[in-house]
Amino acid sequence: MSEILLCNQSLNSQALQRQCGINTDQLSALSCEAPTMTAPNTPYLIGDDPSGIGRGVLGQFAPAHVARELTNLSLSFGGDNVVALAEINAKLKEYSIGLMGASTSVYAHRIGGFAGSVKDYQAALMEYRQAARSGSPLKIAKKQQAHAAFRKMQSQFRNELDVVNSQVRARRGTPLTSAERATNIARSSRNAAKLNVTSQVQANNLVKFSQHAKFLGNGLAVIDFGGRVGSIHNRFQAGGNWERELFVESSSFAVSALTGTAVVNVGTAALGLLVVATPIGWVGLVVGGVAVAGTAAAASIGMNSVVKNNSGGVYDSIMKWISGVL
Amino acid sequence: MTTIQYLVGFLIIATVITGILFVLFGQITVRKLRKNPKTKDLLGLEYVSGWDIINTAQALAFPGFLSKKLEKSPLSFMYANSKILIENTNRFDRFLGSVFYWIMVFSGLSGALIVLLNSLGAFTG
Repeated sequence: MSEILLCNQSLNSQALQRQCGINTDQLSALSCEAPTMTAPNTPYLIGDDPSGIGRGVLGQFAPAHVARELTNLSLSFGGDNVVALAEINAKLKEYSIGLMGASTSVYAHRIGGFAGSVKDYQAALMEYRQAARSGSPLKIAKKQQAHAAFRKMQSQFRNELDVVNSQVRARRGTPLTSAERATNIARSSRNAAKLNVTSQVQANNLVKFSQHAKFLGNGLAVIDFGGRVGSIHNRFQAGGNWERELFVESSSFAVSALTGTAVVNVGTAALGLLVVATPIGWVGLVVGGVAVAGTAAAASIGMNSVVKNNSGGVYDSIMKWISGVL
Repeated sequence: MTTIQYLVGFLIIATVITGILFVLFGQITVRKLRKNPKTKDLLGLEYVSGWDIINTAQALAFPGFLSKKLEKSPLSFMYANSKILIENTNRFDRFLGSVFYWIMVFSGLSGALIVLLNSLGAFTG
């Protein structure tokens, strides 16, 4: 496990000792020297690094935009939570292939909403932090805004939050379980945060998370497409048949999206007719809506895998046919 | 090619055609309706951006008695208003909408059917 230190302003060795109980001798930067002062938005490794993992992690965090975003996220959420959120984000990407196919399904919308509400909460906390640090008279209003954003997130996304929090072991509660704790973290004069990174994979997730955090609300489409483009690019770099991969990825995306769309559309029409024809109440409607969304998601996830398994063969046949004609 | 590869190939072609028709119908008909103050609030519930194109196509493609039933239901806010939309479109718009809608629904649902048959093991032989 590697411990990474991130600060948002330069700290000399006394300040570092006072705030985090860390001696500068323990730190090392990417350039390998023992720093006498820490620079803002720069990752430092705490302790020795016999396995060399820590150095690799430092390298991944080093680009300025990654380090800055990660520092801000860690200071407003706390190190543990950032790691947990990054893991969740990585899982979302796995699910998003199916969710995107049913791009209209209630659940995709919900995950987008969850990401958005976490983002709003974070923005409110950051604003409060700014106000508290500068002693602005708006401090109290900002604090209330942060609490309101927290309540909104809590009331709408309790299940999702439970999943995130089950991975965090913090005794005093975390900013995602307690708004009080969050505003305390944001107000306190801490300007350094520690991240415990256990593996390269985790570091990679953190980097991706800090990059996605900005536009997470806008869509899984970006993420899903990013994943598909990534697999085409991998094939290209490996010197493989990337045109075939392109055909497979784009056709499975398109067909699964079409399937999800058609099922949702026909399902809602059927639901409407059902409402007229039978005396089902609002409860029935909600159940019906969930069933439609679930069917759409299942159909498009299934479609994605059917097309992925078979469109390669279709591509081969087309190419064979073309080369036969020419 | 195996049977399922033929079906998947057919679905891919149908998807491309649907995609082209979706853009055409959106640009030719729905853009006009979105600008028209009489119709712009009657395009139904937009789950995601662009869904009003599908609502409009449905309103133009469904037979009248079905649309009327849907619009009388308590869920009418979800669907586009077929009566007023038909008054504000020409014959070509209605033709384009119907072709787009039925190709979309037919190919999308046959996709779902293929998934179902595949999961039941119909193509493993």
